[in-house]
Amino acid sequence: MTTGALRLSRELIDEMVEHCFAERPNEACGLLASNNERVVKVFRMTNASGSPVRYSLDAAEQLAVYKKLDREDWELGGIFHSHTHTEAYPSPTDVREAHEDVPYVIVSLADESPDIRAFRITKENWRDEDGLVEEIPVVIEPLDE
Amino acid sequence: MTVQVRIPTIFRKFTNNEAVLEVDPGTVAAILEQIDARHPGFKQQILTDAGDLHRFVNVYVNDEDARYLDKLETNVGEGDTVSLLPSVAGGAPRR
Repeated sequence: MTTGALRLSRELIDEMVEHCFAERPNEACGLLASNNERVVKVFRMTNASGSPVRYSLDAAEQLAVYKKLDREDWELGGIFHSHTHTEAYPSPTDVREAHEDVPYVIVSLADESPDIRAFRITKENWRDEDGLVEEIPVVIEPLDE
Repeated sequence: MTVQVRIPTIFRKFTNNEAVLEVDPGTVAAILEQIDARHPGFKQQILTDAGDLHRFVNVYVNDEDARYLDKLETNVGEGDTVSLLPSVAGGAPRR
């Protein structure tokens, strides 16, 4: 499993940010699909918690996305969510509830322009409440097509 | 063996990297036992110490959440698919 950069196009970043703005005042969330270590699709998901300070995926929606990833032979490339008023850094809740070994992308809407940062949250066991947070670069590159 | 169990990436280290397991029909609990017999320790990852489904795991039988069926006693029949999904959640600190 690589700990390299999150690579995606400006269009996909814009789509993530658009979803984050659209869901205000609640936190937005979504999944990213990747192929050959590049993000290829943004899945805008419903925040089942419907809260400005908490997000959770609806498991049925999540399952539908995972089936799509299988059909397309994509991988789960990341999980994104917004922080409506706080910085783009994993909160204790984010760390506690992080179970996946994929980049966690946080879009902060605290300032005039959104701040987008990505992190790996590494745990010894997936159920651990603590984890090591390491920032990874977000690299914007054009889509091939 | 006619039930497929889809294993998410984070659990594949507990199943010798297998992404799909084939098991015999039975309850969700029985299916977890079958997997644990093949991959000892797997059950502990999915269940709490008390033997309940851990809150970080969702179990779907086809397109239905087992929590709204019979939980671990949910029957899984021939041709059904069981999907294990780690929960995805988080939140900002309150200001």
